[in-house]
Amino acid sequence: MTASTLERPTAPVARPSAREESDVRRGEARPAWLFIAPFGIFYVLFLIWPIIYMLISSFFNTSLVAKGFGSFAGFGNYAEMLTLPLFWESMWHTIFFTIITTIPLVVLAFVFAILANRVRRAQWFFRLAFFVPFILPSAAIAIVWTFIYSPSTGLWDSLRTALGNPAPNPVLGTPDLALIGVAVTTIWWTIGFNFVLYLAGLQDIPRELYEAAAVDGASQWQQIKSITIPLLGRTTTLVVLLQIIASLKIFDQVYLMTAGGPGTSSQVVLGLVTDTAFTNYRVGAGSAASVLLLIVILIVTGIRQLIERAQNRRAA
Amino acid sequence: MTAVPQRPSGNPSGRFSRRSLLRGGLGAAGALGIAGGLSGCGSAISAGLVGSQLDPGTVTYWNLFGGGDGSRMQTMEATYEKQKGPNSLQAATFAWGNPYYTKVSLATLGDAPPDVAVSHLTRQSNLAIAGLLEPITEDMLAMVGLSSSSFSPKVWEALAVNGQRYAIPIDTHPFVLYYNKDVCEKADLLDGDGNLKEIRGTDQWEAALEAAKKVTGSWGASVATVGDTATSWRWFQSLYSQQTGSTPWLGDGGRKLTYNEDLTIKTLDYIQSLTKKKLMPAITDYTGSQTLMFTGKSAFYLQGEWEITTAESIDGLKFGMVPVPTLFDQPACQGDSHTFVLPRMNRSEDQLKRALGFVKSLLDQSLTWAQGGHIPAYVPTLDSQQYKDLKPQSNYADAVNSVVYDAQAWYSGSGSNFENTVGAQFGLVQQGQATPAAALSTARDQLLVYADTKSPL
Amino acid sequence: MASQTVSDPARPEQTARKHRSGVSAAAPPPRRSEAQERKSGQVFTVVSWLVLIVFAVLWLIPSLWAIKTSLTSNATAALGALPILTDWKLTLGSYGTLLAGGDIWNWYLASAITSVITVALTVIFGSMAAYALSRLRFRGRRAVFLAMVLGIMVPPQVLIVPVFAELNAVGLLNTYWAVILPQVPSVIAVFVFKQFFDGLPKEFEESARIDGASFWTIYRRIVLPLSKPVIAAMSIVTFVGVWNNLILPLFVLSNPKLMTIPVGLATVQGSFGQRLSDIQASSILGALPLVILFVIFQRRIVEGVAGSGLKG
Repeated sequence: MTASTLERPTAPVARPSAREESDVRRGEARPAWLFIAPFGIFYVLFLIWPIIYMLISSFFNTSLVAKGFGSFAGFGNYAEMLTLPLFWESMWHTIFFTIITTIPLVVLAFVFAILANRVRRAQWFFRLAFFVPFILPSAAIAIVWTFIYSPSTGLWDSLRTALGNPAPNPVLGTPDLALIGVAVTTIWWTIGFNFVLYLAGLQDIPRELYEAAAVDGASQWQQIKSITIPLLGRTTTLVVLLQIIASLKIFDQVYLMTAGGPGTSSQVVLGLVTDTAFTNYRVGAGSAASVLLLIVILIVTGIRQLIERAQNRRAA
Repeated sequence: MTAVPQRPSGNPSGRFSRRSLLRGGLGAAGALGIAGGLSGCGSAISAGLVGSQLDPGTVTYWNLFGGGDGSRMQTMEATYEKQKGPNSLQAATFAWGNPYYTKVSLATLGDAPPDVAVSHLTRQSNLAIAGLLEPITEDMLAMVGLSSSSFSPKVWEALAVNGQRYAIPIDTHPFVLYYNKDVCEKADLLDGDGNLKEIRGTDQWEAALEAAKKVTGSWGASVATVGDTATSWRWFQSLYSQQTGSTPWLGDGGRKLTYNEDLTIKTLDYIQSLTKKKLMPAITDYTGSQTLMFTGKSAFYLQGEWEITTAESIDGLKFGMVPVPTLFDQPACQGDSHTFVLPRMNRSEDQLKRALGFVKSLLDQSLTWAQGGHIPAYVPTLDSQQYKDLKPQSNYADAVNSVVYDAQAWYSGSGSNFENTVGAQFGLVQQGQATPAAALSTARDQLLVYADTKSPL
Repeated sequence: MASQTVSDPARPEQTARKHRSGVSAAAPPPRRSEAQERKSGQVFTVVSWLVLIVFAVLWLIPSLWAIKTSLTSNATAALGALPILTDWKLTLGSYGTLLAGGDIWNWYLASAITSVITVALTVIFGSMAAYALSRLRFRGRRAVFLAMVLGIMVPPQVLIVPVFAELNAVGLLNTYWAVILPQVPSVIAVFVFKQFFDGLPKEFEESARIDGASFWTIYRRIVLPLSKPVIAAMSIVTFVGVWNNLILPLFVLSNPKLMTIPVGLATVQGSFGQRLSDIQASSILGALPLVILFVIFQRRIVEGVAGSGLKG
């Protein structure tokens, strides 16, 4: 392999080994801390302190419009969230969204990458088509898609009318369709990320393997099945897990396209958090919902670590 | 906390002085070589980097009006700008409902509110209790030649928050009944002048719907049942409030649920019976319910009066508007008012005068505003002949006196959690997917969570 | 430790070489002379082309539709999809309206200022911390590392409520700093820099040490000059991330004149009313700087994004 191996930075496998750690050199502590200090200050101010603040306020009736933490609430905010139908509804929407986006995002990205890798020419064009949306602002994407979905006059409804449905249900205005509409937008928007990850993974598969397989008379499909898919297994794990974590944090598209509606039929957890804290002024309850979401994300991240460690062991 | 907090004067105590902190930060900015061009590079940069004031001589104004209201408001803004010269006004329109109120709240907390903002009457009370608004005094009104008697007494009364006023009303916008004149004519529901004959009581109402249905072949009346919780609530609240013995839904600032259970069930039963008898559609959304009336598939359509703009834009549609018919004991309809509020900030006498002058200018244009269906709250316009000549708008001007505002609670008001929660359940009743008792019990459980929660205000 | 190789943002030239070598292998020498085998390969390639092109076109439609609408008059755009499709009297009127009036220049300014300052601070502070973690041996290093690992697991979106409260407490709301400061501690940047520094040869630095150079001098004069590729990659990735961030500026910036592009697009859309062409034009204008960035730095962006795991 020609490229130096870059560990996925989000996978903290590059922990210093015990040998390195014991290697404390005299006179390096002071400069080391000075080098770390500027970043460290920001890290403490905008990562550590917010986490602490969030934990504390989740146990208080903290109000946006009053000073201080307010009166002590015990586990009241957590109890409220865990018994609030809207919380579970939002959690379910978040999970449902995760499921209906992850599968097409992984499968389509995989297919596109295999095909693009196969044809090899006009790569710039496919990158333009599939990847560019990914780097555009969610707000711009939402404007484009809301327009496409606009009831009766939009591109999508016009198409459905032309195909013989005289009064199609407005996508973003129908409770059962709103989240699916957002999901389609999300697939369009973010597939480029998985696409380039798969392309990178594909380019690391040695050509010799395919050539050897061809010599053995394996068909194209057999080659994909027995070489490409297994060797992209790690990339797939990575893509799936990154996708799940990204979907759990979904906020932008829902806020922009449906604001959680109609009613609450597309509300997601982060939307509930900001609604509770900023619209209802209930920072304490919003913090509790945030903490619960963070716990779910940490669990998924933990599972990811376990899977990657198992894969590393198998690979070793 | 029920008392209205005193407006902090000067720098809110216990906070860093924003200016001094930012001036300190300016040193850091200078180190990055970006402070050099600050002075000449426009007000936004210096406001963004060192918190200086943006456009001191301009009135900033935020509203939430889209559609027809939006374009009428822009006309009114343009009139003001024409009077006061270019750059006298900066208006911004935000998405309706919660996003808008969130923006107003956060901006006020962050010391950057607009000079004037629009608020629903049912939302200004919460903003006021949260300490985000300036009280409006008679002295202030007098600065621009207004007084409390310039406004409809009913609206001015409803504005009170702990004996104080924090808002200047411009209108009342009730839930009303639209009717398709062609259909009603064929169903013999019009009088000699081509106006709807008065409908009183459930018998007459159902008879009218039956007659209309024969003409339309589809429905008698339509009201949104799907995907629009506010409408479901408005329809219910209008009928519920028409009955003797109906009590406000919430009491004690939202800590208690005070609705009349029997009347609620009775009202929901009645609403459901109309869809069960196929006099009204069980499944239709906001625009769908309009289209049914516009296209003659139903004779009547219930919605806020603001949809007049949409109805007027339909080619060949002849329609009229009247207050929601009195089906029970007394006239009543759900409604709200648009008001102007002055978010809390340090204002000079000049700024205050400019802000109030702008409000006065908009009030003076109440007739333009009334064309969008809203009933003026400004008495000189309300009593003017021009308004009385404005049809069908002035036909339901009396509804002002029978409007029922949503009860005050930190989770209540137009577009609030309360409307969403209750309206979602009542929508299920309309659709026939829940019994009135089941829907009420679910709504009650969900509301109790809010009622039992300590108010953040 | 064996680890999966993805594209390395720091080494685009190597990836590019790899890529080129791949291209040369695209026309495989016909080792197997069986014509049937080659034919099945050709069929597969043709099918691949077809499928890809169909999907690529499908993927381009939304953008093209937005562009077409933005070039159509507001009056026509209001009539619906078919009129937009059939009316080819193109006009730049919507762009003119937006650029002449309204706040879009202020939004560009806010996005540019916040993105550039955040990139500068992230790259400088992140690379400094990474240098210490890569080169210096000191007590507490493991603790710092663990803190970083923890930091990477907490998505910043989840912290929006406490970050807002903090910025409110110090009076920084409605300033660019409210958008800049919370985005500076990018743990991903530290990891990417550290990976890169770990792979740099240490000989120069060691001899500089022997000559009495301070660590700061070594970092400034030896390490940074060697790190241009990774600095470029991280700068672009950070820039894109900050430019596109919605949730933070959405809640900390309320003044329409100070809003960044995404917040401006998201919040004051209402004032466009039925001016559908203007709305689409605003979206295109919001996306344009990033498209230009992509055209210039195509490969670096793709690889930087893939390498750093940047994901909404």
